[in-house]
Parts: sequence; C-alpha cells; structure tokens
Amino acid sequence: MNLSLVDPFVLAQDCPEVITGRLREWTLWLIVESGSGHSTSIRFSHRGDLLASGRHDGIVVIFDIETNGVARKLRGHTRQIQSLSWSTNDRYLLSAGQDWKVVLWDLQDGSRVRTVRFEAGIFIAELHPKNNNLFVAALFEDQPVLVDISSETPVKYSFASAPLRTQTERDSATEKQAVQDAKVVTTFTAFTHSGDHIIAGTNKGWLNIVDTSTREITYSTRLTNHIIVYIRLTPSGRDVVINASDRVVRTLRLPDLSDPKLNFETLQLEVEHKFQDLVQKLSWNHVSFSPTGEYVTASTWMNHHIYVWERGQGSLVKILEGTKEELSAVEWHPFRPFIAAVGVDSGRIWLWSILQPQRWSALAPDFVEVEENHEYVEQEDEFDIQPLEEIHKRRLDQEDEEVDVLTVEPVKMATEVDGGDIGFRMPVLLDVEASDSEDEVVAVGAGQYRRRTDREWVNDDEVADTMGNGSATQNGTKRRRGG
Amino acid sequence: MDDKHNPSPKRRREDDGENDDTPPRKRSASGSPSAASPSYRLAERPATRYHREDSGDYRERRSPTPIARPRSRSRSRSRSNSSRSRSHSPSRHHNGSPSQPPPPRKPSTLHYEPLLLLRGHTKGISCVKFSPDGNWIAAASADCTITLWSVPDGRLEHTLAGHLAGINALAWSPDSKILASASDDKSIRLWDISTGLAHPKAFIGHHNYVYSIAFSPKGNMLVSGSYDEAVFLWDVRAARIMRSLPAHSDPIGGVDFVRDGTLIVSCANDGLIRVWDTATGQCLRTLVHEDNAPVTSVRFSPNGKYILAWTLDSCIRLWNYIEGKGRCVKTYQGHLNEKYSLSGAFGTYGGEPPNQYAFVASGSEDGSIFLWDVSSKNVLQKLEGHKGTILSVDTHPTQHLIVSGGLDKTVRVWRCKEPSVVEEGVPNGTGEPEMNGNGLPPELPPYPFG
Repeated sequence: MNLSLVDPFVLAQDCPEVITGRLREWTLWLIVESGSGHSTSIRFSHRGDLLASGRHDGIVVIFDIETNGVARKLRGHTRQIQSLSWSTNDRYLLSAGQDWKVVLWDLQDGSRVRTVRFEAGIFIAELHPKNNNLFVAALFEDQPVLVDISSETPVKYSFASAPLRTQTERDSATEKQAVQDAKVVTTFTAFTHSGDHIIAGTNKGWLNIVDTSTREITYSTRLTNHIIVYIRLTPSGRDVVINASDRVVRTLRLPDLSDPKLNFETLQLEVEHKFQDLVQKLSWNHVSFSPTGEYVTASTWMNHHIYVWERGQGSLVKILEGTKEELSAVEWHPFRPFIAAVGVDSGRIWLWSILQPQRWSALAPDFVEVEENHEYVEQEDEFDIQPLEEIHKRRLDQEDEEVDVLTVEPVKMATEVDGGDIGFRMPVLLDVEASDSEDEVVAVGAGQYRRRTDREWVNDDEVADTMGNGSATQNGTKRRRGG
Repeated sequence: MDDKHNPSPKRRREDDGENDDTPPRKRSASGSPSAASPSYRLAERPATRYHREDSGDYRERRSPTPIARPRSRSRSRSRSNSSRSRSHSPSRHHNGSPSQPPPPRKPSTLHYEPLLLLRGHTKGISCVKFSPDGNWIAAASADCTITLWSVPDGRLEHTLAGHLAGINALAWSPDSKILASASDDKSIRLWDISTGLAHPKAFIGHHNYVYSIAFSPKGNMLVSGSYDEAVFLWDVRAARIMRSLPAHSDPIGGVDFVRDGTLIVSCANDGLIRVWDTATGQCLRTLVHEDNAPVTSVRFSPNGKYILAWTLDSCIRLWNYIEGKGRCVKTYQGHLNEKYSLSGAFGTYGGEPPNQYAFVASGSEDGSIFLWDVSSKNVLQKLEGHKGTILSVDTHPTQHLIVSGGLDKTVRVWRCKEPSVVEEGVPNGTGEPEMNGNGLPPELPPYPFG
C-alpha cells in the first residue's frame, strides 16, 4: 500500500546500489570467532518476507526480513547445510545437509515432516513446485534421484545422467564414448516452473531435460566441457542461468516445455549470453537471477565483489562492493531490488538495497521542493478577509463525494501479503532468541547492542526470578518459559 | 446470553434491562438520534412492538420461525417503501414497482441496542477491543488491569494484572492469541490470553507514558506512540526496538498500521498526522488541518486508503492521504470531544458487499456513542447509556456488535437488531411483525437477506 506514496524514481530503480545492512543472529558472534556455525547457504521465501539461512553447524535459521530478526531455528542436521528449497506456499522448507540427510520442515510448528537419508553426499535437493511430497536431488558420484516422501518410507527413483544420444550417434558409438557416458554424473538438478521437467547439469557440461513423470531424458545438449556447478531458473521458468567451472556464466532461454506441440527431437537450445571476466579471469561462486530475469548476479571467487549483468545487451552494469570478505551464496529478493549475500569468512549475511532519500516536503506539507527560485505571485483572493464560519461551512458542504473505505483493490503484486488469501503465515514465536542458550548480546537501546558478560547472566537470572514467572534452568541450559 | 440471569460470583455484571436505570430503552430513545426520531418512528412504527418485547428476554427471539423471504412479497415491498419514503423524500412515493423489486436502499438509521453491561473495573475504561477472531473483548482500565470477556455470553475469562500504572491502549495480535497493552508505567506488555499470564519480557524503552500501540498484520512488529514524543517500531519476537521514528514535537496520540503493514500512521498533539514507510522508516506524508487542533487518535480505513483522525475540536476527519498532498474528505461532527483522547472504529451495515456501507463509530464526552455514515456524514444512530465520557469504541470484525467503554467504569456491548433498516421495513408490510426476520436467532449470519 505504500507504493502510491513512494517516490516513483525510487520505485523505478530495479538494481540495488549500496549495502544497507547485514543480518546477524545476535547469538552468532562468538561462534563466528570460534570458527564454526556461520551461514553457508541462503534462500528467500517466495513471498519475500523470510530468508532461510543454512548454517555451518547444521542449524537452519529463518530470518524475518522485515525485522531483521530470527523468526525460527530448525535443528536436525549435524553438518553444514548444502541447499535450501521453499515450498510454493512458504510453509515447508527442504534442507539438504552434508550429513547426507534431506529434511522437510513444517514451519507451522518447526517440526520435521520427513527425514530422508542418502548413501552419498548431496549437491542439491529441490522441492517440486506443486507437490510438497516430491523432491529431486543430485548426489555425489551417484545417479540423481526423484524422491517421493508422501509415505513414511521415502521412495527413491533414480534416473540417468548419461546424455541422450541421437540415433546416428548411437550407431557410431565407440566403446570409448560409452565409457565416457558412464562416467557422467549429474551435479545439479532443478525443477522447471510447472514441475513437469527437471533441468539437470552434469560434470561433463551436458544439460539434460528430464521428464518428471517418466524420469526419461527427453533432451540433451552440451554447453561446455567443464562441470556445471549451478543452475538457476527465473520464477517464470523460461530463463536459465548456468554457472560452470570454466569461468563462464551462461544464460539460456527455454521454450515452454509443457507445450504438447514441442518436439524435443528438433529442439535447439542456444546460449544467449556468456558472461565472463576476460581480464582477471574471475571464477564465479554463485549465480542468481533478478526477479524478472533482467539481471544476472554472480559472486566472485577470491574477490569481494558481486557482478551484475544486464541481459538485454549482455553488458556489465554494476559491481556491488563494500564487504571486506569473499562472498559465496548471493540471492535476489523475489520482488524488490534487494540482494543478500553470505560472507565466506564471517558467515554474515550482507544486504544490498536502494537508499531512499527522505523527501523534506513530506515532513512539512506547506513546503515544496523547487529546482530553482520562483517569484511568488499571490492569488487574487489570497488576502481577502472572509468570516471563519463561512469558510468552515463552505468546506463542509464541499465534502460531498462518495467515499469507499471498504473495497480492497486487488493487489497487483502477488507477493504482497493480503489478509484474505494468504496461504500460510508463520506463527510469531516470542521466545526464539531466549530459547537459545548462546544468547550473549544485549540490546541497550535503539540499534545499540553490547555483549553480555558472565556476570550479567547471573544478574539477569536474579532479576527474572524475582519477577515470578521468569526463567528456569532446564537441562543445564537457560531457557525462558513463555509466559 | 443465556446465562445472563445466573451470573457467577466472580464477576459483577448486570443486565442493563434490569439494573440499569438509564432511559435508553424507551422507545423514543431506542437508538435514533433525536433529530431524526419523528421520521424514524413513522417509518418503523410496527417494528417498535418487538423492540419492547425484546427488552424482556432475548431467548424469546430465538423462535425457530422460518424467515419470510421478503423479495417474493412485492406488495409488501412497495408498501414499505412508501411508508419509508414519507420520512425523507416524498417524490419516491411511487417508486416501488410491484413487478421489479428495487435494490435495497441505503438505510438511513441503525438500530443498535444494549446487549451486555460488563462491570468489573474500579476506574475508568481507557480502551476496549474485539479480538480479530471475534471471540473476545479486552478492556483496559486506569485501575492497572485488563479484563478479557468472551463475546457471545460476556463471561469474564481473565483479569490480567501486572502493570504498575493505568493502561492506555490495547492491541490484539492477528492470530488473537496475544494481547499487547501500553501503560503509563512506560512499558508495553504482551499477554498470553490462553493462560492470562504476561510474557516475561516487557517492552521497555519509552521514557514516558505509552499512549498507543498497534500490531503489524503479520504480528511480527508492533508500533507504539508515547508521551515522550517518540514512535518506536518493535521487533515482537526479540522485544527490542527496531526503529525509532523521529516523529513529532508533541506527545503522540495514536498510531496504526495499514492493512498490508507497509505504512504506519502516527498523530500528535502538534496537530500533525504523519504517514511512514515501515520498511525504510521515512516519512511519506504529513497531513495537517489548518487549525492545528491536537490529534488524539488515528486509524486507517479497512481498505487502507483513508485515515480517520480524532481531533480536540470535536471533529473526526477522514483524510485521503494518497491524493496530492493529502486532503480532508469528510468531517464528522455532532459529538463532543475537547478534552479526552477518544478512539473509535469503522463498522459496516447494509447487505453483502455491493450494498454494504460503512459507518464511523465514536464515543463522545457527553456519554453517547455516535454512528455516522461515512459518505453522507449523517448520524445513523446515537447510542445512549453511558454516564460519562466514552473513551473507546470498537466494532466486531464480523458480527454487528459494538463495544464501548468509558469513564463510568462500565463496558457495554451493543447489538444491531436488524441487518438493515430496509429489510426491517419489508416484513412490516405483512402485518405480522412477530413472524418475520425479527425472530432471527442471533447466531445467524448478519445478512439473512443479502
């Protein structure tokens, strides 16, 4: 609802410019220093109000973007979180960890809906966009799997990694090629927008399109000779960005894969843009799309910058900087010019956005911001003396328009939260911070914090105890009872 | 309301029909403004019969009489129209076409009647609020306690005690599980309404009385306005100040969140109403009336397009804050408000959305509640009953109920008898007032003819 009031020039900006903040769990400082537990992967929810952050110690933290505070903590993994995936209604979160486990979380109560164990490390696990009981996972040196978790015991369907060869290629296939094909391993999988197909990248640079229902490869193309590290689709599902280990970021346009008239035999996928840094030969850590697919961002290896390319011309438009550390995962907010990136060293989440200047005319309605000086010409009746009652009466009589205070205009942005038709709203937990025993930072004022000392812990307990229903010691950790 | 004659000993609540000696139940004052009462009585003559019956026992009204479908009775429709039209425009006398029932006309009066009288506070009531799910009434008082009443029957569920000074304002979390209270002890507290206990972390940060609070629609933020001239935005989960809005140069009167949470409005004694962007904390708009009368309370309209503001010049103004630099589109007058910080609410009447209209409800320092039509600014009803200034009025989120509280230490619940006056007029033509929609069980949806 604020859009009608915000400066249109600000709204027209679609690319973040400056660092505006960073997310920290206030509990994190000490852990950062001791070298464990910082954030490794992040993902925005579809509505953009939450950010899931997978930590080095296996804890998944849900941040509230509006308050920059922790909304929930999910404990279940024992190793670093490898990937995160939100369900379309933002109620479920799928996390894959380096403990070879994939967990589906229900954010209503923070419970684990399903836990699936694998016999190999997991590169990525992604939820089906329409079916929360189906996910696809790319495994380390193993065939990729489609996992049905609708029942208690998950059913894993593996599918092939070897690229689909045409008939002529198969006829002329040599033994060497067969051996090579057998070595192809899928390194990344992603669902298309409809969920009917899986886009899979392999370690030999092949891009496979897999039919979700039959689990057959319907199309293969070779983009590079190097490993495909990361694939990302726009929300519309028609644009793909691919990060490969040959230091080139490629973008592709996909046809409508669910179109029944589409013939995979004749399909030719062309690389639209190749983004690379020819001078420094930079390698890219992580790539992502802006919400519309207009921009491509990439964080750089051994470098502190985030590159932003624009896809119309294929040109570099911006380099985001400001951090003193290398950045790994970089993510766009689903509809705002807002980028979050994870610092490799500190594990902090850095945020880039647009700074809105305060318009002074908003504070003083009698004042107008003018470009240059004007000579004021008074109006004809400006200093006429009129009886006050007359003015009041006339003004009241003029208030004759029909006023509609009830009708809610349909919201244009599907991402805005609407009181009526939101699918899921995560409950607000009042004791997220307090339930954490590592809480060692105290707020002392607006935006000011200081570290809690050991002595203060005691003090705080004493204070809390005198308050009656304050705190209690449970299982050796301090825990606040929600009143 | 069935248990209204056997009150439990832990509460002091009396049926106003029995113990209240104020005259609101008399026909002449049964909820119509004095100016409009002659025409009103003309139009609703037969209806007054069950008004009187009603005051005896509500249970009688639960008769399972089938509801006569008024639309099918074109004859009665035309008669009722003609009898109504005498009251305001004689030219409409022949408008009622027997073959084609006209769309229901906009009612010109409302018929809220006393339903419950809740006693229990020892000092004046500063704030009453229905919960968003409609099951609770919370009432805050200067006696440092909050009482929680269940809505259908007026049972006292909890008395929330813990504040060290009088309580100024209440806000319900969107899920109706948490109640926030702002107090003169400079703190804001959260209460778990299932247990009636306070959350151990109070929101401490204001340097003076906290006057007004509001929850964001998601329940993750809370905005508060204080006598110390500051507006704070709180992270509810961590109970810490997220942002301080450099708002005003005088004590803050009221704050509110817009329905999608992207805007905050605040008002102050300096006569300014400011609209803020929640995400950036920047002022987007300042509304000021030329008289600079202190603004004591402010509220977004249900659709978020307008701002309703109470000022100490006995006016309530509706502002269009989007257009231009903000424009006052309506001024509601008639009540008395020169001293206290009154607050009120929007309510609806009429039928389903195409025929649904909005009213503004507010208390007054003369002890009556005013209901204005939003567009015409006409007083739809003046509810009498309180014996002092009414500080707070709230409307039920779904049903046609109004709750009010004031300096006479009582909380009163009012219920609208009819979905609309038009519909009421229709069955009158049948000559069987007992058989028509008046026999509706009160639990039925509020718009049986919509």
